[in-house]
Amino acid sequence: MIGDLSLYREPEMDNIYVPNKARIKGIQDETYDTKTYEFEFVDTAVKEGFRFLPGQFLEISVLGIGEAPFGLASNPNHPDSFRVTIRAVGSVTRALHELKVGELVGIRGPFGNGFPFDGMKGKNILFVAGGIGLPPLRSLIEPMLDGRSEFKDIQILYGARSPADLVYQDRLKEWEKTPEIRFMMSVDVGDPAWIGNVGVVTTLFPKADILTRNAVAFVCGPPIMIRFVILELLGRGFAPENIISTLERNMKCGVGKCGHCAVGHKYICLDGPVFSYKEMMKLSEKVV
Amino acid sequence: MEQVVLQKSNLNHWVELMHGGFQVVAPSRVHGEIFFLPHAGQLESDLLCGNATLPYLPPKDIVFPQSETLFSFTRDAGDIAFSIPEKAFERLVILGIRSCDTAGIHWLDNFYLNNFRDFYYHDRRDNLTLISIACNQPMNNCFCICCEGGPFLNPEKAAFDIQLVDLDEHYLVECNSEKGKELVNLNRSLFSPPDPAMVEARDQLEKKSHTLFLHEPTSYMSTAIRRITSNSVPPEVWTELGERCFDDGGCTFVCPCCSCFGVGYSSKGETGCHYRFWDSCDYSGFTREVSGHNPRAEKGERFKRRFFHKLSYQYVKRDGRIGCVGCGRCITACPGEVGMPAVVERLRRG
Repeated sequence: MIGDLSLYREPEMDNIYVPNKARIKGIQDETYDTKTYEFEFVDTAVKEGFRFLPGQFLEISVLGIGEAPFGLASNPNHPDSFRVTIRAVGSVTRALHELKVGELVGIRGPFGNGFPFDGMKGKNILFVAGGIGLPPLRSLIEPMLDGRSEFKDIQILYGARSPADLVYQDRLKEWEKTPEIRFMMSVDVGDPAWIGNVGVVTTLFPKADILTRNAVAFVCGPPIMIRFVILELLGRGFAPENIISTLERNMKCGVGKCGHCAVGHKYICLDGPVFSYKEMMKLSEKVV
Repeated sequence: MEQVVLQKSNLNHWVELMHGGFQVVAPSRVHGEIFFLPHAGQLESDLLCGNATLPYLPPKDIVFPQSETLFSFTRDAGDIAFSIPEKAFERLVILGIRSCDTAGIHWLDNFYLNNFRDFYYHDRRDNLTLISIACNQPMNNCFCICCEGGPFLNPEKAAFDIQLVDLDEHYLVECNSEKGKELVNLNRSLFSPPDPAMVEARDQLEKKSHTLFLHEPTSYMSTAIRRITSNSVPPEVWTELGERCFDDGGCTFVCPCCSCFGVGYSSKGETGCHYRFWDSCDYSGFTREVSGHNPRAEKGERFKRRFFHKLSYQYVKRDGRIGCVGCGRCITACPGEVGMPAVVERLRRG
């Protein structure tokens, strides 16, 4: 064990490394490896003061096991019931999946710049999501639906590996039905019950009647998916500044100090995770 | 900036007075190696003169320890209590820190104290007083003159509280802050006003020191900075340099400006802690993600990263200066002979 635990003091409020305690309020199974967690801060002042922007992230820790960044996946208009969607892939996420309602985690944040919102009003909006990339986009989709009349067309293209990998299935059904958005999805590999599109998400593009004028595209998903979607969008005439995506890196501190998430002269945790493709091209490293 | 004179024979007495309110750290020998260590007994006066040997490690660990607890926790009856370590020190003086290392701490100040203040760094730095020594004689690997890291520090640009200039029997004591004044005020009668000849001698020493750097380590920083900034260094040059890197992280650990850390997690029963430790962008695991995806899997990419952070104008704008103070320790530490000057020279050749 590092450090002398026999001598200690209370953490002070301005200590950026000490998390706030939060209790798991609800757990929703999404897929065989993915769950959505709703949290509530234990401290009343923290709970009441908590606000976030779409696209921001939290550092969530299972104490003694580890800490990892997770994009906020719920509507920022309801900060009192914030949620993140977590796929079990490493030690922290597997430990999170072991936890039950009522148990405590540590949370720091929200961190990061978030998606642009007000500047999107009056525009045609396209969302392209791959796999676990849908949850962070949902933090932008939901508030846009709250103020639906302020935006023009809203189109969502969602791709997952298989029907069993689709998250938010109840919400997807609503999106399929509502006239407020145009929604399409695809899976890389179907199953006998699947009657929808089969293929990576870009195979939806020729069928999707994508609006390119006065349009902004939000893209989130695994790195290889982001690369191909951006190529597709550029080919359709989207300007680089109108393609907005997120970068992910191995973040540790969340506050621009540990250096792990630095790309070029930007820190993903401070200056990102949201970047336009135009900004990405200015980084001195290849990112997509 | 106030200048006063201290007779060298009074140095020990002055330091004794400091012990009344401060811990004092000074360069000391352990089996022939020089370290910054808590001072006890006699000062080693040859390590506090204008031509003293630069210690192998900078005293960076006093403000940014090699590892430290971020917080510890205890689970009890369904609740969790957090605590943080006691202060590392109430008040501390580093006596005999060199110009380059003072410049390094200044870099760390800019980085750690702004844009989300680092609690632990601030906790130490706030209670730290730096008594820097100007270098009358650079060592063989020194190139601070290329990096605004010395050999004498400019009070308007540097973070020292006091700069000592070695004038044989005396030190010219240059007091650059309230913290510095506080130390001089411990006993004003130890100090006298400088006569004009001493001030003149000091300026001559500074000029002379500028002429004593060896050719080899001094470098055309500006060319390297320009090429890195414009991203015009061909990838094969980074690959070539990267192939000489042993991935050992040595350069980052001896560097006064390297600030990256990893975070570790530990628990036993109902208690545990989260701690941080020096990490290195040389390591392939530095950017590896849980998925296995590694944005900088290639050595050349990691090499480029390190030098982009140190030298690009993009980072100069962000951090106020280049991330190199010219101490030359990476030359000593690097088994592949790709310390800063060698890299800068390679980039200059294009």
